[in-house]
Amino acid sequence: MMRYFLRRLAHAFLLVIGVSVLAFLFTTLAPGNYFDEMRLNPQIAPETLAALRAQYQLDRPLPIRYTSWVNSVLHGQMGFSFAYNAPVAPLLLVRAKNTLLLTITATLLAWAIALPLGVWSAEYLGRFPDRVISWSTAALLVIPDLALALGLLVLAVRTRWFPTGGMASVDFESLSSLNKIRDLALHMTLPVTALVLSTLPVLVRHVRAAVAEVLHAPFLLAAKGHGIPRFTLLYRFALPAAANPLISLFGFSIGALLSGSLLIEVVMSWPGLGPFLLEAILARDIYVVIGGVLFSTIFLAAGNVLADILLYWLDPRIRTESASR
Amino acid sequence: MIRRRKVAFWLLVLGALHGIVLCAGFFAPYDPVEQDRKNPYLPPMRLHFMDARGHLHVRPFVYGLQLRPGTYDQYVEDTTQLHPLKFFVAGDRYRLLGFFPVRLHLFGTGNERIYLAGTDAFGRDQLSRLLFGGQISLLAGLLGAGFTLLIGWCIGAVAGYYGGWRDDVLMRVAELFLALPWLYLLFAIRAFLPLTVNPLQAFFLIVAVIAAVGWARPARLVRGIVLSAKERDFVRAARGFGASNFYLLRRHILPETSSVLLTQAAILIPQYVLAEMTLSFLGLGVPEPVPSWGNLLSNLQQYSVLVSYWWIYLPAFAMVPFFLGYLGLASALQERPNAYKIERKSLGSLA
Amino acid sequence: MEPILKVENLTKRYAKRNFVGTPQEFLALDGVSFSVSAGATLAIVGESGSGKSTLASCVACLETPTAGNLWFERRNLAQSAESDLRKIRPQIQLIFSDPASSLNPRWTILEIVVEPLVLQGKLGRKERKMRAFSLLERVGLSADMAGRPATELSGGQRQRLAIARALTLDPKLLILDEALSALDCSVQAQIANLLLELQSSLGMTFLFITHDLTMAAHMADEIVVMSQGRIIEHGPSSNILRNPSHEATKQLLASLPQLPHTPWPATQR
Repeated sequence: MMRYFLRRLAHAFLLVIGVSVLAFLFTTLAPGNYFDEMRLNPQIAPETLAALRAQYQLDRPLPIRYTSWVNSVLHGQMGFSFAYNAPVAPLLLVRAKNTLLLTITATLLAWAIALPLGVWSAEYLGRFPDRVISWSTAALLVIPDLALALGLLVLAVRTRWFPTGGMASVDFESLSSLNKIRDLALHMTLPVTALVLSTLPVLVRHVRAAVAEVLHAPFLLAAKGHGIPRFTLLYRFALPAAANPLISLFGFSIGALLSGSLLIEVVMSWPGLGPFLLEAILARDIYVVIGGVLFSTIFLAAGNVLADILLYWLDPRIRTESASR
Repeated sequence: MIRRRKVAFWLLVLGALHGIVLCAGFFAPYDPVEQDRKNPYLPPMRLHFMDARGHLHVRPFVYGLQLRPGTYDQYVEDTTQLHPLKFFVAGDRYRLLGFFPVRLHLFGTGNERIYLAGTDAFGRDQLSRLLFGGQISLLAGLLGAGFTLLIGWCIGAVAGYYGGWRDDVLMRVAELFLALPWLYLLFAIRAFLPLTVNPLQAFFLIVAVIAAVGWARPARLVRGIVLSAKERDFVRAARGFGASNFYLLRRHILPETSSVLLTQAAILIPQYVLAEMTLSFLGLGVPEPVPSWGNLLSNLQQYSVLVSYWWIYLPAFAMVPFFLGYLGLASALQERPNAYKIERKSLGSLA
Repeated sequence: MEPILKVENLTKRYAKRNFVGTPQEFLALDGVSFSVSAGATLAIVGESGSGKSTLASCVACLETPTAGNLWFERRNLAQSAESDLRKIRPQIQLIFSDPASSLNPRWTILEIVVEPLVLQGKLGRKERKMRAFSLLERVGLSADMAGRPATELSGGQRQRLAIARALTLDPKLLILDEALSALDCSVQAQIANLLLELQSSLGMTFLFITHDLTMAAHMADEIVVMSQGRIIEHGPSSNILRNPSHEATKQLLASLPQLPHTPWPATQR
């Protein structure tokens, strides 16, 4: 068990390193840098610019920049932000926490809804409940995420039930603990709803497909013949057997939700990695962009390792396979 | 075969939709960049058949709009001004299919302006911008998907056929690309390219960026097919007759990949159109004044616009019929005779 | 008389490469040696995993042996360059066991038969078509089916098509890798007789690979028994059937169904 876990971890680690190299490679392809804007300003002398560039090592060859960046990562800094004049890591961590809050909530909620819906759909395959669910998921699938997010925003504006952006009200600090939680939940509702609605259809479809295939397996018919109640049959027998493709879907869905959260955070002004990254891109704050990309990769890799562990726990075939190696 | 008819049906639907966008100049009453500064943020005009005095008209018509006294952005219909809708009118000059200079438009009202979808801050007709914007967004999606599939196909074929270190290296690189959430990768690549470019360069830049992001999944699928096709007996038999690698790939192996490529195309194209919309919405895509479905929506980021001018929101749904068409096509392509063997290939829609 | 095919100490090892850890090896052929005279039939018998198919691939030059020599008409195929092999391969043809997978399901019958000629670049289009038609008739298929897709044929017909295709380049050696195993009993007999008839009229050498000893005896004068990559018995068919010496051969014999009243084994030729 430990060996399997360690192998997965090592694999994920190598992946993250590879991605960092990739991100750095793209830097060299980029014409222009943060200081191009300044160049247009006649008040700043060219010497100052040159000095700044030298200070940030923008003139050094790629391998040296990479190594000094790795060095700064090991020291917990992850490079330096030009715009904020501060190390990148602390800036990202704050935002990353907000993004994680959104993404994890959305993931849990989406799966909590998708699993029962998918199982129910598979059970009544081809009949009325399945038809209704299939049509609804199709309807949701064809609406672009952008339209969903904007639509929810319009809803917020019109009904005034939900705040239209941000993470906390102006008077957040003065609220009691209970009200703080309530305030946070209110602010989270719209972004989480948008995220859940955007990934739900795909999840439901795949759960339905995976469970439908399993439902006709002989072992399940035998269990039914033994008189095992419906709920146990579905959730303790069928679902774990269908787990394999669903687990890889789980890893996938985390990636999709991370991407989705990028857009939704911007639209709904949620102070996560999304708006921060966008700002950095527009300002060409290279190390922030690399750091942000890396963070998202780490989240995704962590999610996949988690998915692998879940699979290991659920599917005995994986255990025997890895033991025989 | 039922499946063939379904596929044909969806192809027809998609063809019609794309055809409308292709002939945007004909369906749109006006030029998309033409401004009407006197009429900013005009709401959509309603078509009427019965006038204020109860007379029924054969031709639909619209009323002129007047500013409600005391406001600066609220309009009222002026029932004294009737502008009948004429069909097949001569209007602004445009180039049909990019070549033929034509002046014929589907509908118009002669000298008066008709805004069926309202106007934006510069008084530009939203309907025209919607149709022309579709050209840009759809083309970006189609080209991007085409390039991605081409790249993925080549890489997958090489990795699958030659195996060995080529396979290892290529698949590891593919894993790297798959390890990133796709929007982050898209942003990262876009970030490292010039921000202020002219619209044409911006367009090709976006297409290149979008194509560079998604090649990994098709490559893996093609590789799988090539790997299994390579071991088939008829391939070995052909080798026994003296076939070269090139011949085997061309005549036996690569034709096996056609169905997967088609399905991937039906899945990727809408995704890529959405990617272009997202980029343009955030200001990283096609710049003004060229319309694209994305940048038509970007004004909605301003609270005032979001609250007051609901018709600016319409382009968000422009994509829906196309999504529907591609979804139908993908489902029809993936259909198998056995009702319980539901294909899992639509995983690609999560990218 | 010089044998047309002489296999000397043929060895084939498969290695499974892993990124980390020890590579696993699998020994498919371990020092196999035998020879075949021109115009004769040699049967190679063994259970699954005995290395028969690997041997077939190596002799047909579809795989390169790890060690040993493969003499075909005085040329050592194990040491030849790829460009030479490409010229020699048409003379050694392989008929596969699964008639469904050895023919491209998307192609028509004509395209399949004509493929070897197209690849070798001989003959114009019309001549190729004529030759294809005559070959189809020769193996018992009607020439007006030529435009149909191969999927419309039955199992027996597909094997006939595979044989026709193999014959287009006038091969000297025909390797039949379990070519009859996937067919129904009656069809097996038909195809077997077709093969024997073709052999006597065209003078080809056969290498007949099977797991069925009676079929081997029916088709061949000499039998080689393989087990786990090695030859364990070699001799005339009648000897092997009546006096098997090796344990594995006895097991193969025992696995054949016997009817109580028929004289057994049936070794008529």
